[in-house]
Amino acid sequence: MGRTIKLREQWILALVAFVGIGVVPALNAWVPADSLFHISDFRINLWGKYVCYAVLALGVNLLWGYTGLLSLGQCLFFSLGGYALGMHLMLKIGRLGQYKADIPDFMVFLEFDKRYPATGGLPPHWVPFHYIGVALIAVVVVPAVVAYLFGWLAFRSRIKGVYFSILSQALTYASMLMFFRNDFTFGGNNGLTDFKFLLGFDLNQPATKRGLFIASMLLLLSVYLVCRWLTGTKFGLVQRAIRDGENRVLFSGYATADFKLFVFVLAAVIAGLGGALFVPQVGIINPSEMAPDKSLEAVVWCAVGGRGSLVGPILGAICVNALKSYATRAFAEQWLYILGGLFIVVVLFMPRGLVGLPDQIKAIWRTRLASRRVTPSDEPSVMPSKAATRTDE
Amino acid sequence: MSHLSSSGWKLWRQCRRVLFILMAPVLLAQNPNSEAKVRKLLVEAVLEADETRQIGLVRQLSQLPDPLVGTVLLAWRQGGVFLFDGPSGPVPFLLETQNDPQGKARGLQLVDGEALRDEKGTELKFQASDLTAADTTSRLRKAIKTSLDLLALANPDPKMRRDAVLKLGQDQDLEILKPLQERELTETNAEVKRAYVEAISFIELASDDEAIRVAAVERMGALRSLNSLSFLQKLVSDATANPKKYGAATLKAARSALKQVQDHQGWVNTVGTGFRGLSTSAVLLVAALGLAITFGLMGVINMAHGEMMMVGAYTTYLVQNQFRAWFGPSGASFDAHFPVALAVSFLAAAMVGLVLERGVIRFLYKRPLESLLATSGVSLVLQQLFRSIFGAANVQVGSPSWLMGNLAISDVQFAYNRLFVIGFAFFVLLLTYLLLTRTSLGLQIRAVMQNRSMAAALGVRADRVNMMTFAFGSGLAGMAGACLSQLANVGPSLGQSYIVDCFMVVVLGGVGNLVGTVTASLGIGVTDQMLQPWIGAVLGKISVLAAIILFLQWRPSGIFATRSRSLEG
Amino acid sequence: MAHLILKLEGVNKAFDGYKAITDLNFYLDEGELRVIIGPNGAGKSTMMDIITGRTRPDSGIVEYGRDTDLTRLNEYQINRLGIGRKFQTPSVYSEHTVFENLWLSLEGPRGVWATLFSRLRAEQRERIEAVLATVGLQGKGDWKAGALSHGQKQWLEIGMLLAQNPKVLLVDEPAAGMTDEETAKTGELLVSLAGRHSVVVIEHDMVFVRQIARKVTVLHQGHVLCEGSVDDVQNNEKVIEVYLGRKKRGEHT
Repeated sequence: MGRTIKLREQWILALVAFVGIGVVPALNAWVPADSLFHISDFRINLWGKYVCYAVLALGVNLLWGYTGLLSLGQCLFFSLGGYALGMHLMLKIGRLGQYKADIPDFMVFLEFDKRYPATGGLPPHWVPFHYIGVALIAVVVVPAVVAYLFGWLAFRSRIKGVYFSILSQALTYASMLMFFRNDFTFGGNNGLTDFKFLLGFDLNQPATKRGLFIASMLLLLSVYLVCRWLTGTKFGLVQRAIRDGENRVLFSGYATADFKLFVFVLAAVIAGLGGALFVPQVGIINPSEMAPDKSLEAVVWCAVGGRGSLVGPILGAICVNALKSYATRAFAEQWLYILGGLFIVVVLFMPRGLVGLPDQIKAIWRTRLASRRVTPSDEPSVMPSKAATRTDE
Repeated sequence: MSHLSSSGWKLWRQCRRVLFILMAPVLLAQNPNSEAKVRKLLVEAVLEADETRQIGLVRQLSQLPDPLVGTVLLAWRQGGVFLFDGPSGPVPFLLETQNDPQGKARGLQLVDGEALRDEKGTELKFQASDLTAADTTSRLRKAIKTSLDLLALANPDPKMRRDAVLKLGQDQDLEILKPLQERELTETNAEVKRAYVEAISFIELASDDEAIRVAAVERMGALRSLNSLSFLQKLVSDATANPKKYGAATLKAARSALKQVQDHQGWVNTVGTGFRGLSTSAVLLVAALGLAITFGLMGVINMAHGEMMMVGAYTTYLVQNQFRAWFGPSGASFDAHFPVALAVSFLAAAMVGLVLERGVIRFLYKRPLESLLATSGVSLVLQQLFRSIFGAANVQVGSPSWLMGNLAISDVQFAYNRLFVIGFAFFVLLLTYLLLTRTSLGLQIRAVMQNRSMAAALGVRADRVNMMTFAFGSGLAGMAGACLSQLANVGPSLGQSYIVDCFMVVVLGGVGNLVGTVTASLGIGVTDQMLQPWIGAVLGKISVLAAIILFLQWRPSGIFATRSRSLEG
Repeated sequence: MAHLILKLEGVNKAFDGYKAITDLNFYLDEGELRVIIGPNGAGKSTMMDIITGRTRPDSGIVEYGRDTDLTRLNEYQINRLGIGRKFQTPSVYSEHTVFENLWLSLEGPRGVWATLFSRLRAEQRERIEAVLATVGLQGKGDWKAGALSHGQKQWLEIGMLLAQNPKVLLVDEPAAGMTDEETAKTGELLVSLAGRHSVVVIEHDMVFVRQIARKVTVLHQGHVLCEGSVDDVQNNEKVIEVYLGRKKRGEHT
């Protein structure tokens, strides 16, 4: 990577950080509502969600784009992070709930006081979540542990490619069914909602929303930097080598299972952090967030933006979600057609996504020019297609 | 079935009631003596003032094999026998079931079946609410009921007789014992005879004689009678709590009999669960077969496979509606819709598969991850399409009459629809096997599966083979959907609920391998059903998933792995 | 007398009933250069698969050095012991640059944390440049490996072996796709490696075999048909019958 490119990238990064963390919140806070430059609270909140999704997409990309592991269960980890913080938020509602009780409403409704009389109806594993510190640790540790266990079993027995995808999808599906159950103590169908305070701040205050947006931006930037650093190390080299030909890597003496496990756990932690910031901004977390469709959607953000590049997933997550917000408002029925169409179009026509589009157009342009000049093709076309197929194995 | 037939029985009984009352004069002419005797006894019973004697008369009536007795006793118990203040005392009568426009009906005298008339000879008409019914005490009503039950023992339908016998036994009325034992001797049907033994044993449990009780208990155990389970349980708990009243011999016999019966029940449950598991496996097999073949052949994963099942299920729905419009909601012609629907489902899903293959899949051969994503998109589009056309709610799909009901063998219920699905799965498996081994398309499929470029070099049109195979696989999914419409709800998310299981079959069974697919679907289907009553559906599913992941630790490439020599295979 | 570095005794391997290896005995001394020849399906590649842990034998002993049982280890553990392999079809990381391919193969710690925090040191860079020069790819370090010609990929993979500096090199058809000149150069390189390393070469090209071979092992139907010098082997009647004879009639099939 050339020095000038590096320099330019640093400038762009600084600019994005400045706009995201400084300018946008400032426009929301200090520019009068009737001004052209004002950004509404609604917008800030919405964009905050997009940014959390972008974090999730970066994790997906680390797995799929860089290691060739298509996990269809990333939203499980996103939700686990969300649930971990959500539990703390539930306990911070205090007596402001519908039932004016010490324990969250759904526990009153489900008569948990009979099941857990010793703690006044609060399941024992909920108790430590009174402390924000415990919740924050859980945001990282719970997704990491789940990912570690699943990944250890999967990679140890060399489950790969599409088998890994299918099993990860089954994992999130099974977890969703589990969370749907009331006696799993996480609110069943309705999940966790009606949050009031985070760290003492009222979640309905515009200033809190602004703060959460800034936090999400900071998280995105940090995750971006971590990914960027990671892909630049020798680890990154091994990672991409695994993507292109895992068996060959084994014969170079690398224990690919360890590498994949590391990336899988890291991506789960990233997803968990994104989920944790997502939940206070949307105000709810429920099992439908773990539905297999959601994880597929996250993969498509990544594909639309361009997998295997660092900017692509961020771009994809924001573009697709902006489109979704618009489409579900303008013509709700048709959104699934659009989303389904996106899957197909991206896979068939835009293998490198939006980021790769300029190069793709250039390439098409060049072949046009070349065919006009009638030059003999110098390389048999077998090579690139072979390279393309190898990424899937 | 049982519900339907019992309501049919009621209807028939009602018809009979009207029939006999109207036909009474005719019957009278035919058999004047016995008819008159029966009527006389009936009138006597209704008018008798002393309760004990009245009960005796009712008992006596149950001995008479005249259908009129049942009709009148039933009416009496329900307050349908009325008293008319005639010049020479009260006259018992029944109301005709046919009302005139004012809601009134003729009164038919019990004594001769003739209509009640006033002095001038004109027919009198009554409204039930204006009349006083013949009194019944609770003891009398119970006696009438017992008599009615005894009467039912003469029913020509053995099934009805069997139910009646068991019902009598449940009451544990020692007075019934004797008539029951008498009738047992004349019974010829084996099933009903068994019911007699059971019923008599139930009653004998109430006996004070320990020897009789023990003999009855031992008989129950020997019969492995599931009906006696609750009696035995009660007896064991009573005898444990009150050892003075029941002797030690009773307790011992009851315990061993209970164990015999419980063991039998366990066996019945196991066979039933196994059967349900088998039918679940059958649907899975038909669905996953197509998936495994296309994955093995083309290296593509079709996430829209579940939606192919949905296409099949909705096609069944449409075909059924069409048949209903043509032939009405029942009958042989309507029942013929299901085989037609199976065929049409196959064609419809195969067509959709063909379009999918030409439009998307063929660009993605040997790129499983990409094909997985693209077909996920197709799956979303199809779901939304069906939701737009048929609505988000489930649609009602009925069954042909020959798929309703159960086959009972030794207390195990085998539902016909599940039996059919199992048989159908065998048929499809055979069909697929023959297609792969006996046809030129099958030969080509196997050739392409093993070595695509070599097959192409030998003149196999791999493109066409892929297309046909994909259509065939989708068609199989369509038929699976049609079968599923007989077992589960049909809605736009039908495919989603099955696709995960289908993929598990493919993961577990290995690709492009019939034996693997069969073994895996059997394993998953049966395990799922075995776990369900035990730990619930959700935990059952999760356990199956966990089991699969653990199984793959042992055999990473599924049950039957295919090997390849290339480095990245 | 040199020490044994590789020992295969009574090894059997069957795939779905097809016996790829039957009762194979093979011994390799430290520093030896051995050439294995044999017709297609003789079990040459399967033997390499068994040594490198890609395939587990059904029975038999596979030992490295004094007493390391290779059948209990998997691919990367065997590789880390110092057994490097070049595959029959060139297997390089085609999306990586030539330089990166070599960096990945360079000897050194291979754990997750080690790769996370390792920086390319100056002497490592020099080492890679040296290897590039040895395999004739100097100046092409920034090329994508996928963009190399078939012969260059062969060279790169040999370079990857060199960078790893293993004790035993298993080289499967190194000369395929190379020009005569390149083939000769490959031969020189392999001969120069022997002594410091133990080298096993599978080859079809008899000219090449003649150039490098001291001791030749002939495999046929999964076991050793004969062993000896090139001349011994070429004059062995059994060999002529099953392999060379057929080759002479068919001419370069």
